[in-house]
Amino acid sequence: MASGELEIDGLRRRYGTVVALDGLSFDVPAGQVFGFLGPNGAGKTTAMRAIFGVTSLDAGEIRWRGKPVGEQARRSFGYMPEERGLYPAMKLRDQVEYFATLHDMDDQAARTAAAHWIGRLGLSGREDARIDTLSHGNQQRAQLAVALVHNPELLVLDEPFSGLDPGGVDDMSQVLAERAAAGVTVLFSSHQLDLVEDICEAVAIIHRGRLVVAGRVADLRRGDQPQLAVRVGGDRDGAWTAGLSAATGTVESVRADGTALISLTSAADSQRVLDLARAAGPIEHFAFEDRSLSEVFRQATGASVGQAEAEHAAATQAAGNERVRV
Amino acid sequence: MSNRTFRMTWLVARREMLQRGRTRIFAITTLILMIAVALGVALPAILSGGGATQRVGITGGDTATMTGIVTEAGRLAGVKAVAVPEPSVAAAEAALRSGDVSAVLVNGTEVLVKQVPLAGVTGGLATLAQVAGLSKLVQTVPGAAAAVANGVALPVRGLEPPSKPLSSRLTGLFTVVLVWVLISVYGSQIALGIGEEKSSRVIEVLLAAVRPVQLMVGKVLGIGLLALAQVAAMVAAFVVAGFASGSSLVHGQAIGIVLAGGVFAVLGYAFYCTAFAAAGSLVSRQSDVNSTIMPVQLPLIIAYALSYTVIYANSANTFYHVLGFLPPTAPVAMPVLYASGDVPLWQVVVAAVLLAAATVWMARVAAGIYTRSILRTGARVRLKDVLRREPAPDSP
Repeated sequence: MASGELEIDGLRRRYGTVVALDGLSFDVPAGQVFGFLGPNGAGKTTAMRAIFGVTSLDAGEIRWRGKPVGEQARRSFGYMPEERGLYPAMKLRDQVEYFATLHDMDDQAARTAAAHWIGRLGLSGREDARIDTLSHGNQQRAQLAVALVHNPELLVLDEPFSGLDPGGVDDMSQVLAERAAAGVTVLFSSHQLDLVEDICEAVAIIHRGRLVVAGRVADLRRGDQPQLAVRVGGDRDGAWTAGLSAATGTVESVRADGTALISLTSAADSQRVLDLARAAGPIEHFAFEDRSLSEVFRQATGASVGQAEAEHAAATQAAGNERVRV
Repeated sequence: MSNRTFRMTWLVARREMLQRGRTRIFAITTLILMIAVALGVALPAILSGGGATQRVGITGGDTATMTGIVTEAGRLAGVKAVAVPEPSVAAAEAALRSGDVSAVLVNGTEVLVKQVPLAGVTGGLATLAQVAGLSKLVQTVPGAAAAVANGVALPVRGLEPPSKPLSSRLTGLFTVVLVWVLISVYGSQIALGIGEEKSSRVIEVLLAAVRPVQLMVGKVLGIGLLALAQVAAMVAAFVVAGFASGSSLVHGQAIGIVLAGGVFAVLGYAFYCTAFAAAGSLVSRQSDVNSTIMPVQLPLIIAYALSYTVIYANSANTFYHVLGFLPPTAPVAMPVLYASGDVPLWQVVVAAVLLAAATVWMARVAAGIYTRSILRTGARVRLKDVLRREPAPDSP
């Protein structure tokens, strides 16, 4: 990937015995919606916090437009943390205006911008409501308004889709796409890899604090090797693939319904696979298929997203502190 | 400091003032405090009537001399006495019955009251009778009557400086309660406010734009200005109610005591506010705030509890004198010592200077703790180890 506007370079961070970031590097190109994906505990939040200097790093550097990120650059960023961060007892309008003024807007400009974003995010009429009286979805919108109110050049959102209903996900992704179209670089994290594959143009997928794979979503899903999905009637274990030669392709996995996913060495080899399958029984399904991002993750790490999260949960418990979430 | 630093600090302070000052609870507590202060000052004066003007009827004899006797008797008795000339004894008796006057001096030879108290003649009335009797005795000496009009009392000299009257001490107590309430109530608000910012995670969004020190200073400044406004309202209530009721609490030295208390209230707040901020930054849940601010409050609690032994004693012990100079206890101890007349003014000034110097030191230490622990990242927060708290790693 070409050098991006935002460069994450060799980040390392350890909390006691837990390694949160282990030399994480990737670039975020300008004006795109960029997904920062990985199972819970992969280190996404730590990396995002590091962008804003609210966590320190043991090593590594974050650069914005070629320069190390400093106080001034950060003021042109918008941030929406995962656990949200609003004053519960403060009124919506006051809150959004307050954060606007903290980002160098004067009172008048803050009022105008707050009114605009409150309207744009569908919160009109709730201006005088305390944050803690808003519904979960509306609090999320309020948080987004705070992140957007000063017209940031980089928008960083930690799990913006978590807890949203499908309508909320659509609204949120529409706003992100709009901002990207306006030239804003949008970086958001998610542990639901497949949910967001249509929302972002490019992604970085991480595991155990390291980059697993990064690139355009379309390229990643297609992969270096085309993938065939083949199901033979009566064969629920994909036993027929035993006859497949390594030169032709490799079986990545077999789904519960018996569909074998086969990475082909070359697209031309598909006929050889078809012959083999036909010899084994009636073919129920035969098609080239893009991988889902969670399959990309599994193929690259050898573990499913669920397994990775379970492993993290166990490690966290072993570390003796249930509040360690990295 | 740059303009931006000032602006950020001010924005934070302004938010604190607007958010807290606009609440109904703030208006109500201010009002309640003002009423409490006004009642505390005015009630004793109103109930005892000691501070109110005593009207004494005079009839017969030389008006100037009679007036002189009444005024002098009032001065000696510590009450304000006004002579009211009555045209006749009958008129004076009528005025007495109607309650217009509390006593009548007849011809300089007799004191009339509506009813002689069961406990006998005491207080101002006894003084009036004595002064009038003395005056009658010296009538035979030429010019003596005029001397009485100008005051008959001999100069009074004591071997030891006078012990401060109870009223001064009570003013001192009032002042100290004020200082104590101010620091502990507003200090807790600082710590709770910071606890709220940490537990709600709003701190992360804030620190993306504002430096920790700006955030801390803005918060203690905003809350401090609110506290100052509330104190000003209470002092105003004290002065207005005191003068209106003629309370002895607002006369002379009492004003000095209240002023000294004001200085120590401001300095004490300045000293403690940053410590409370540091204490608040150590917790990650708001409910834990009380446990971390307890050690911060301890010196004040000790000084406050012991202040009663000084208020009601003839002289403070050495230990309390030491507390008066130690910065953590001085905000409460020194106004008490001053009010009870146990220290001269220059010692008060020395204690204030020590406290101011310690405030600078405390601000630096507290800012360091706050900066390191507000996100619980970076170098391990050593104070937490000192306090035997789990060195919890920062969570996302």
